[in-house]
Amino acid sequence: MSAETEILENLKKAIFEGNAGDARSLTLKAMEKKIDPLTVADVLTEAIRKVGEGFGRGELFIIDLSMAAEAMKNAVPIIEEEIKKAGKKQKTQGTVVIGTVAGDIHDIGKTMVSTLITAAGFEVIDLGVDIPAEKFLEAVRKYNPDILAMSSLMTITTPEQGKVLEALRREGLRDKVKVMVGGGAVTQEFAEGIGADGYAPTAPGAAELAKKLAGIE
Amino acid sequence: MVLNGFPLNIKPLEILSDEQVEAIHRGTLDILQETGVRFEHDKALKLFADSGCHVDFQKRLVKIPDYLVEECLRKAPSSFAVKARDPKNTVRIGGTTVYMMSNCGMNTLDLDTLEPKTPTLQDQDDFVKVLDALEHVHILGYGPHHNFQGVHPLMTLPMGCASRIRNSTKAMDAGGIKKCQVWNIKMAKATGQQLLGIVTVSPPLTYYSDAVEAAFDYVEVGFPVELWSGAVYGGSGPVTLAGATVMTNAELLAALVLAQLIRPGIGVIPYDFTFPIDMQRGHPFFGAVEICLHSMAFNQIWRHYRIPCGNAFFWSGKAVDYQCGYERAVSTFLAALSGANVICALGGGSMELTAHPVIAVLDDDVMGMVKRVLEGMDVSEETLAVNLIEEVGPIPGHYLNREHTRRWWKKELFIPKVADRTSYPEWVQGGKKTALENAKTRVKEILSTHTPTPLPKDQDEEINRILREAEEWYKKQGWW
Repeated sequence: MSAETEILENLKKAIFEGNAGDARSLTLKAMEKKIDPLTVADVLTEAIRKVGEGFGRGELFIIDLSMAAEAMKNAVPIIEEEIKKAGKKQKTQGTVVIGTVAGDIHDIGKTMVSTLITAAGFEVIDLGVDIPAEKFLEAVRKYNPDILAMSSLMTITTPEQGKVLEALRREGLRDKVKVMVGGGAVTQEFAEGIGADGYAPTAPGAAELAKKLAGIE
Repeated sequence: MVLNGFPLNIKPLEILSDEQVEAIHRGTLDILQETGVRFEHDKALKLFADSGCHVDFQKRLVKIPDYLVEECLRKAPSSFAVKARDPKNTVRIGGTTVYMMSNCGMNTLDLDTLEPKTPTLQDQDDFVKVLDALEHVHILGYGPHHNFQGVHPLMTLPMGCASRIRNSTKAMDAGGIKKCQVWNIKMAKATGQQLLGIVTVSPPLTYYSDAVEAAFDYVEVGFPVELWSGAVYGGSGPVTLAGATVMTNAELLAALVLAQLIRPGIGVIPYDFTFPIDMQRGHPFFGAVEICLHSMAFNQIWRHYRIPCGNAFFWSGKAVDYQCGYERAVSTFLAALSGANVICALGGGSMELTAHPVIAVLDDDVMGMVKRVLEGMDVSEETLAVNLIEEVGPIPGHYLNREHTRRWWKKELFIPKVADRTSYPEWVQGGKKTALENAKTRVKEILSTHTPTPLPKDQDEEINRILREAEEWYKKQGWW
């Protein structure tokens, strides 16, 4: 095995096993060895996709998913920086902006969706929790995403999702982005009522929905 | 004052050694003093700072010194009353009395299709009427629904509270989200009762503004408060049960300190409402047996603190079936046996998603079973019945012709109302009815025969006025 292949294999393993420290040091090592950042990015995507698949088969669990996502966070920014420097562009399935709506601080479900969408090959911009409508709009303008995904767990905060859609329409941005919604208090009926493009009841379902909305498969 | 709950006549189950309780307490004090708890509320931060806490106003982090925690634990009462609309339903929480409280579900449940359905306000009123009639419901929990057809989400909590006040004279708790407590308090005052206010932590170690506002609003008017934990082991809290206990303890003690700083001596009751994460799905596993284990430790620790405590349970199944039955029975029995003062379990079904009066009626039987066990065994000369056994002697002697049997059987034997107890031929003849079907019949009977004591006309009108005021206020806030 060449030194390069060894680094990449170990990096894949570090992501798969959710070892953040190794993921970072191996990524830095790959950069030192002048491995093409696009090749490294492909390796990262493949590793997180495998994690997503393992989760889908019930062999891996949320803790594995979330540790792998942490490992990715330690590697991806380094690679992105290098890709940018080299004036290249990474191929993704599309960009997704995601967040939990204003007044709601529930994080776990949203983070699961965010990780599985990443595993499905999307670039995900996770805004976090308690995100007011104007922040969602700002992100739509800034990142020009293919999909905007919103979560809310509580009945009392579901109307916020409707408010974001209203704001998108008001600002003439509605046609530029597909909107998917989810969370404990959200139903298909509600999603249709506020004019969202899609709803999924589970995190793996949300990843499938993202692919569908992005016109993949 | 009537102690209308269940008497705990047996020694509470303890699962921790004294050393383990002490280790958990020390760990808790370390977290409070070294790590601190985040409070997103300026007034609370200032109050903590003025009371000797180390407050980082930038990070909104409060570090509470040991002595203040211990001082507030002494100030909090070991029992306190919650005044009900009908004084005979007033509860005094604490000591060796166990109260049963209803829980909630966002939706009602179609019992045939098992599909959740958005309830109407009539569904809510009917549910409350059933709870008002049930023998083993002492406290009406928030809900039972908190989502209504044609009602704006902001109005669901005040309208739910109004429905409870109108359709029941029992003691009750009430929520603390989006300032709903302002209207809840007004309605309670207008009808001469108190409420148990709900204050909820957002684990790990955070109190958002809504929760702190609720603490101030309820405590300032002298209403006792429920302090609700909510950690998900492995998600928003440590996966180890001992670790989850330490963190939950720190969160609840921080709120207890706040309540005692706002108004020394105010009644507080912390609730264990924690669950393991479902590692395949990310949501809490509501029916997990670890919840019971955690609650048993929780009850022991708060008994050690001499503060009353509560436990809360839902089940994770979707059907009203074997699983819901064992999840409910195991959890409530272990909670009661380990000395919880309030058990919030009745009526709520699948993962807070659904609740139904038929479930409450089934639960009422389980609570009756709990009550019977807590009463323990009466051992006296008369109950030992040595003379009687001597008199009756061996076969052909029997006990069905004895005054002793007639005198004692109703005291000794609990008769469930909806459990199927028939013989096989009788069961076939009666149309093969299950407990579930019997419960449906009982709900219909209750609704056709039970009329809760109505509010006097002027109080009823006042409730309407308060609800209108709430609606206008919410619209003005721009939250509508």
